[in-house]
Amino acid sequence: MPLEYTPSELMAVAGARELEDGQVVAVGLGLPVVASFLAKKTCAPNMTILFELGVINPEPIHTGVGLADPRVWYRANVLSSFVDILGAVLHKGRVDVGFLGGLEVDQYGNLNTTLLGDPQGQFRHMIGSGGANDIASCAKRTIIIMRHEARKLNKTISFITSPGYMGGGDERAQAGLLGGPSRVITDKAIFDFDGVSKRMRLLSIHPGITLEDVLDNMGFTPVIPEAVPLTEPPDPEQLRLIREVIDPQRIYMG
Amino acid sequence: MSKVTSLAEAVGSISDGEHLSLSGFAITRCTMAFAREVIRQGLRGLTISQCVGAMDADLLTGAGVVERLIYGGGSLDRFGRLANINRGIENGSLCAEEYSSLSIAFRYLAGSLGLPFIPIRSLRGSDLLRQIRARTAEDVAEVTDPFTGENWLALKPLQPDVAVVQVQAADEDGNAWIFGPKWDNPEQARAAKRTIVITERILSGDEIRKHAEQTIIPGLLVSHVVELPFGAHPTSVYGAYDYDDVQIRCYVEAAKTPASFQAYLQEFVYGVKDHQGYLDKVGGVARLEQLRADPVLGY
Repeated sequence: MPLEYTPSELMAVAGARELEDGQVVAVGLGLPVVASFLAKKTCAPNMTILFELGVINPEPIHTGVGLADPRVWYRANVLSSFVDILGAVLHKGRVDVGFLGGLEVDQYGNLNTTLLGDPQGQFRHMIGSGGANDIASCAKRTIIIMRHEARKLNKTISFITSPGYMGGGDERAQAGLLGGPSRVITDKAIFDFDGVSKRMRLLSIHPGITLEDVLDNMGFTPVIPEAVPLTEPPDPEQLRLIREVIDPQRIYMG
Repeated sequence: MSKVTSLAEAVGSISDGEHLSLSGFAITRCTMAFAREVIRQGLRGLTISQCVGAMDADLLTGAGVVERLIYGGGSLDRFGRLANINRGIENGSLCAEEYSSLSIAFRYLAGSLGLPFIPIRSLRGSDLLRQIRARTAEDVAEVTDPFTGENWLALKPLQPDVAVVQVQAADEDGNAWIFGPKWDNPEQARAAKRTIVITERILSGDEIRKHAEQTIIPGLLVSHVVELPFGAHPTSVYGAYDYDDVQIRCYVEAAKTPASFQAYLQEFVYGVKDHQGYLDKVGGVARLEQLRADPVLGY
């Protein structure tokens, strides 16, 4: 009998599978928190988890409402500052993977967390950058996690808060930026980026989802290879850890 | 020398139009009692800066006290958006200079070290930079690394007139301890011309000297020390008290429209005489005791 799991759980598991033991990972809030704690409890016990405000390797026993909640700082082995984490670790070039989320992403992995447009042409101001622009600019690679909707995977986005490959090709490198987005994980599929054009490319489709489901809910057409495999589903132990240990109150998993 | 004063006296030392950095991060260690007193005293035209926009800056903005905000974006975590700040940006009444967390931290760092500028890798290729260039072009520049010839983006230092920092403990001279993560606070205090310390409790100088490695803000930077238990309420202070979810929800609800926010200000700011009056208003000792932190957990 196939396992029952939610799209959010699959996204968290897919995020965790991208992480390797010994890596340094900069984490925002929400699904990336679940993905990184899951990796640390399974495939990457020696991974280092960073929160921008000055927290390294916390071991929370209660779920917090955000990075400003002392619940998510519990049992950290370092409590320091922005200059220490975003400066001496991230800006110095020591972050292997940064997780990013957003309101909108375009085909080159540029992210918007600043402005939300409505059909009347009015804009609402949202969160802005926080450490997201810094992570997008300085991490060796980034992983974008977001919902798969046409208004979120957009041909043009309202505001580039955190640059991906900018206009594609070598534009990002020319601008003097390190790394760049390596994966986009949605609730329907996983993408990587074409090596030359830097356009988003379909890497795998989640079980139960069709290619049409993927393409009909995007504002642009990604590069589609001849064969697209299915995303590996979560295993029972990963689901148990998410449900019983990491997010029992389902604050992150919705 | 004792620098201990009342909150009213510390706020009274600030002039209209000055630049204040505030120690809050989203919903933790925000300078809330300070902000309420600033509003009661009717200060105007302030510039506020902080790396991540927090509830203290949002409250001041909603009260019409802030002309200019220099920040890296922000929210009230899961409780909601910075509604007053966002509204000010959307209707043009607030002049917001928007960066990222690290670029503001670097601007404070340059200010704290007395450097003329600081190079940074962030911001390039973003609309944040395009917007900064369009609005305040004098705060960013391109520079060439004199050693490698590499091209860098340079930021101008931030040097606030006053850093206002909410801390757990300090002595009468202002030597202050901050427990938990410190985000931009060490650089804020060092970059500013002077610092106002709002402390949960005052310790003796001897007590501070016993554990001087915990002193994050040296007294030499400090002009005023105000002892004010629960001065960050309804936001949290690590190791002292948790955030007050009931009061934060009340704030978020009120901040949805300018009219309902005015009613909030009437009730919780103008309608109370001072910090003690505010604490009585939000439930007094009975409520505050529920928020007190477990010493092991820190919340």
